Amino acid sequence: MADKKKGNAFTNNPLVKAVGTQKIVVLLVIIVLFAFFSIMSSGFRKYPTIVSIFDYSYYISFMAIGVTFCLITGGVDLSIGTGMICYALFGGYLITRQGMPVIVGILGTLLLGLLMGCINGVLVAVLELPPFIATLGTMMVARGFGSIITGGMSVTWPAASSEQGWFRMLFKINKPGLLLPVGFIWVVIFVILMSLFLNKTRPGRYIIAIGSNKEATRLSGVNVVKYQALAYIISGVFAGIAGIAYAAVFSSSIAPGTGAGLELDAIAGAIIGGTSMTGGCGSIFGTLLGVFVMSMLKSGLPYIGLQANWQQIITGLILILAVFIDVIKNRKLA
Amino acid sequence: MGEVILTMKGIDKSFPGVHALDHVDLEIRKGEVLALMGENGAGKSTLMKVLTGIYKKDSGTITYEGKEIEFANPRDAQAAGVVIVHQELNMMNHLTVAQNIFIGREIMNGKLINDDKMNKEAAKLFDRLNIKIDPTEKMGNLTVGRQQMCEIAKAISHDAKVIIFDEPSAALTESEIEELFKIIRDLRDKGMGIVYISHRMDEIKVITDRVTVMRDGSYVGTLITKESTKDDIINMMVGRVIYEDPKTESNVPKNAPVVLKVENLNAGKMVKNVSFELHKGEILGFSGLMGAGRTETARALFGADPKESGKIYINGQEVDIKNPMDAVKHGIGYLSEDRKRYGIVVGKSVAENSTMATMDEFTNGPFINKKKENDIAQKYVESLKTKTPSVDQLVVNLSGGNQQKVVIAKWLVRNCDILIFDEPTRGIDVGAKSEIYHLMNELVAAGKSIIMISSEMTEILRMSDRIMVMCEGRVTGEIGIEEATQERIMHAATLRK
Amino acid sequence: MENFKNSPLVKKLGFNRIILCGVLVLMYLLFSIIEPSFVSYSRIISALNYAYFLGFLALGVTFVIATGEIDFSIGPVMFCAALIGGKLFVDGVPMGACLIITILVGLVFGLFSGFLVAYMGLPSFISSMAVMMLSKGIGSVFTKTQAMSWPQSSAEGGWYKSLIKMNVGGTDIPTGLIILLLVAVVCGIILNNTKAGRYILCLGSNQEAVRLSGVDVKKWKMLAFVICGTLAGFAAIAYVGSYTIVSPGLGDTFNNDAIASCVMGGTSMSGGIASIGGSIIGVMIISLLQEGILAMGFQKDYQYVITGIIVLVAVFADVRSRRKKN
Repeated sequence: MADKKKGNAFTNNPLVKAVGTQKIVVLLVIIVLFAFFSIMSSGFRKYPTIVSIFDYSYYISFMAIGVTFCLITGGVDLSIGTGMICYALFGGYLITRQGMPVIVGILGTLLLGLLMGCINGVLVAVLELPPFIATLGTMMVARGFGSIITGGMSVTWPAASSEQGWFRMLFKINKPGLLLPVGFIWVVIFVILMSLFLNKTRPGRYIIAIGSNKEATRLSGVNVVKYQALAYIISGVFAGIAGIAYAAVFSSSIAPGTGAGLELDAIAGAIIGGTSMTGGCGSIFGTLLGVFVMSMLKSGLPYIGLQANWQQIITGLILILAVFIDVIKNRKLA
Repeated sequence: MGEVILTMKGIDKSFPGVHALDHVDLEIRKGEVLALMGENGAGKSTLMKVLTGIYKKDSGTITYEGKEIEFANPRDAQAAGVVIVHQELNMMNHLTVAQNIFIGREIMNGKLINDDKMNKEAAKLFDRLNIKIDPTEKMGNLTVGRQQMCEIAKAISHDAKVIIFDEPSAALTESEIEELFKIIRDLRDKGMGIVYISHRMDEIKVITDRVTVMRDGSYVGTLITKESTKDDIINMMVGRVIYEDPKTESNVPKNAPVVLKVENLNAGKMVKNVSFELHKGEILGFSGLMGAGRTETARALFGADPKESGKIYINGQEVDIKNPMDAVKHGIGYLSEDRKRYGIVVGKSVAENSTMATMDEFTNGPFINKKKENDIAQKYVESLKTKTPSVDQLVVNLSGGNQQKVVIAKWLVRNCDILIFDEPTRGIDVGAKSEIYHLMNELVAAGKSIIMISSEMTEILRMSDRIMVMCEGRVTGEIGIEEATQERIMHAATLRK
Repeated sequence: MENFKNSPLVKKLGFNRIILCGVLVLMYLLFSIIEPSFVSYSRIISALNYAYFLGFLALGVTFVIATGEIDFSIGPVMFCAALIGGKLFVDGVPMGACLIITILVGLVFGLFSGFLVAYMGLPSFISSMAVMMLSKGIGSVFTKTQAMSWPQSSAEGGWYKSLIKMNVGGTDIPTGLIILLLVAVVCGIILNNTKAGRYILCLGSNQEAVRLSGVDVKKWKMLAFVICGTLAGFAAIAYVGSYTIVSPGLGDTFNNDAIASCVMGGTSMSGGIASIGGSIIGVMIISLLQEGILAMGFQKDYQYVITGIIVLVAVFADVRSRRKKN
């Protein structure tokens, strides 16, 4: 009466089992990529470049953590990329146009993310619209809204040197002789917190259960509408956090109309990390690893002479590959 | 004999067009295993659904522990200690065993789930059942048998007093069944009332104390297992009067050529070494109980599901059928048991559905010749007596019988020589039923050959020239219509090889 | 009202489409009242600029949506095709060949998307987003991230502009509209009168039943994507015919406008129901909306918000009407 488990010496190794084969492979990919870029370009080996890998990882990480919850329920949130920029525009607008303190701008960014998450949650969980088309709709709304509040102009969050620039220190300390990617601390904190939330609390447990078998979960007496909506709310809030990270680390001026396509970096990261498009399984830690593949590429490709356009091609190919592996994995299980 | 814990008396339940339960009685006693038996559609599952609150009864009483009750939903029933272990398991494959058992009522440690405690509690449950399952294993990694054990563990974790097993052994291996029986005996000895629904005669003899038999939605009687023979039970199950005249002899000439020959077909878990021959002008009935693998055999033959091995010959030529396209090319048509999902395209018209498999004959170059299409559809509407205002009518607006006729028309337009009718009259009213029988007889008279899968004994006996009986994916009997009786078929259908 | 709904003419044209036409006329009247300049030929011609390329995109994506799938790559594919065609012209390829290659680029992307969805089994919404990234990147790599300017109508090779707009004696003749409507008629015939269209609609309604009828569903699903890609190539020509210049890295907002046109026109997001005429009316409404918003002095961003809301409302209505039927 053997259980349906097969595997070789490697996959049955207790350490490998505890961490997961896919994550170990992704970790190896990261190391190989790093080695590759380092060998190809002397510029890449420098400390500031390594910091730039982290810089890219922040906003992708936060979006990816959020969207992982949507993917686990078997849905998706396409509004996060455009949304992130929209929320950051709103925050920047409050600070620079309305003269509010930075903390109000940050709160405004988060609140708008929360609001958008709630709207997505209602559309998907209550009104039962297909997630991809519902979040496509809100993505358009976010794009227009971000642009409308700023009158179509770019918005500048305060510079690091200014009195109001303290918030940048939350993510990157950049003083003469001192360059520290402190934002990574936040990423790690949130990864741990959300991992705990996903695996150790009732809402997290029910989000997994909904993705695995929504009807069985409903019959177990769980309020599936509430917890499905919660996944989208989490995604919205984390897009807000991503917006702050984006504003803090990247060019201080944020332009309306950008951001479309950034959600794919996050979704690709999550899928590379082992979260399935069909729902039911996902890991926040895996997502973080997947994100580092993406941010490594974003910061590394220019060093081998491939600019943003090549990155788009490579992101596209990686996304196809990741989804294809996921489809194959699920076909095997079925 | 233990005391009575639950009584159902005079339970009546109708659905539109069907009198599903007709004043059924049932008595469950503590410390006893009660078998609930009957053919497909006898009303066993409906009765259990009424008991656990999935359906509302029309009349009758349910008394549980001395009080009259009516559960509003399965959760209420569960809370009161009446639990059903379903045939289709309701599991979340991505969660662990312990997480599944405690879903919706997790053991908490403040705000965090105490998975350690849940694992320990689950382990205790398995200890009580004397089985070894790792509570931290992912549910999806377990065999169906072990998943079932988890369902049982979940049931006893609810402090169940009555446990209903709905065909638990259908997907289990020999040794898993042994294990299951051990658990059931244990539970019985601890004083639980157990209902065991199964088709398997030998299991009934081994595990149960009493047998209640249902037929056509009615209560037939209850026997003491020890004092009755297999034949007694079968006689009660099938002892209906057959109103329609059964066929007495085959209409197929002795020397009719073999049009289809299947050799050692294997596909998935449900089709094992199936071999049979179909003659020209023959209606070959496929009988068997639910889950015998008949539909799976038909789908594998038709190329709808992948097959592992086996040879198929059409008119003596070996053919390779990899997908439905190949099957249709070789002149096979398949009418699915699930019309809505696999038969018709509901949002399209009668004409569009009729020509679905034969588009090429209705095109001039790339364009569809709608007149020709409508003409042929109209022709079949008339010859099949399909009731529809026009051939432009969307099939979604037709009744079940008329939808079935549209599917038949689809394959007749294609001029298929071999037709597989899978439950051709399921969900169809009496008038339309006899029309479809009439039609099938006309088809074979015209030289077509038909494989008819049916769970209705009367239908099998009325239509077939020869009967193949299947049980658990294997052919367990081949009976000519001349010597076919309900009893013989039922014997073969419960014969485990 | 019921009488009106059931009259044979209304049934033939479709109740929803008549309502949409009414909306279109009302919108035009409304804009004309607010902004008197709307009552002029040149304004209408200007509004149509947006309708040409959007029309081709919407026609194409109607086929994909009819199969129950979606394509988010059409806008960027259109830009990619226009960039490649424009670059080739700059490099000295004759205009005729450039136009053909532009269409071929769209076709190749359609083949690729169709292969991923029909044969590899990827979910179309995510695979088409990946294709969107690819097309943006490829267009940009091909032109070395330069914006491409197609020739003006007076310049050499500028004759292609007359496919969209012809200046006869000082008046602009919207030749593009004629071509768009011709293509729409062809699409309508393909969808409603050919085997391909029949299978595309049926497999959107119940793929498994069509497969069990012995139909090669993968092939027909792929064909829908190929039609969509090819029409994105047409759209590329229409776009440069109106606007001359294309920049790399853009185009995704047009996906949304095209999808919004379809769902507004009565094409169901869950597949099986599609209306070419409805999509064209939808395109006209969106184009008029965009012209009107600009004319009234608002930023064009309001249009994004409005299209977004249109998509949500239309899909919600579709989901609800389906639930009622079941």
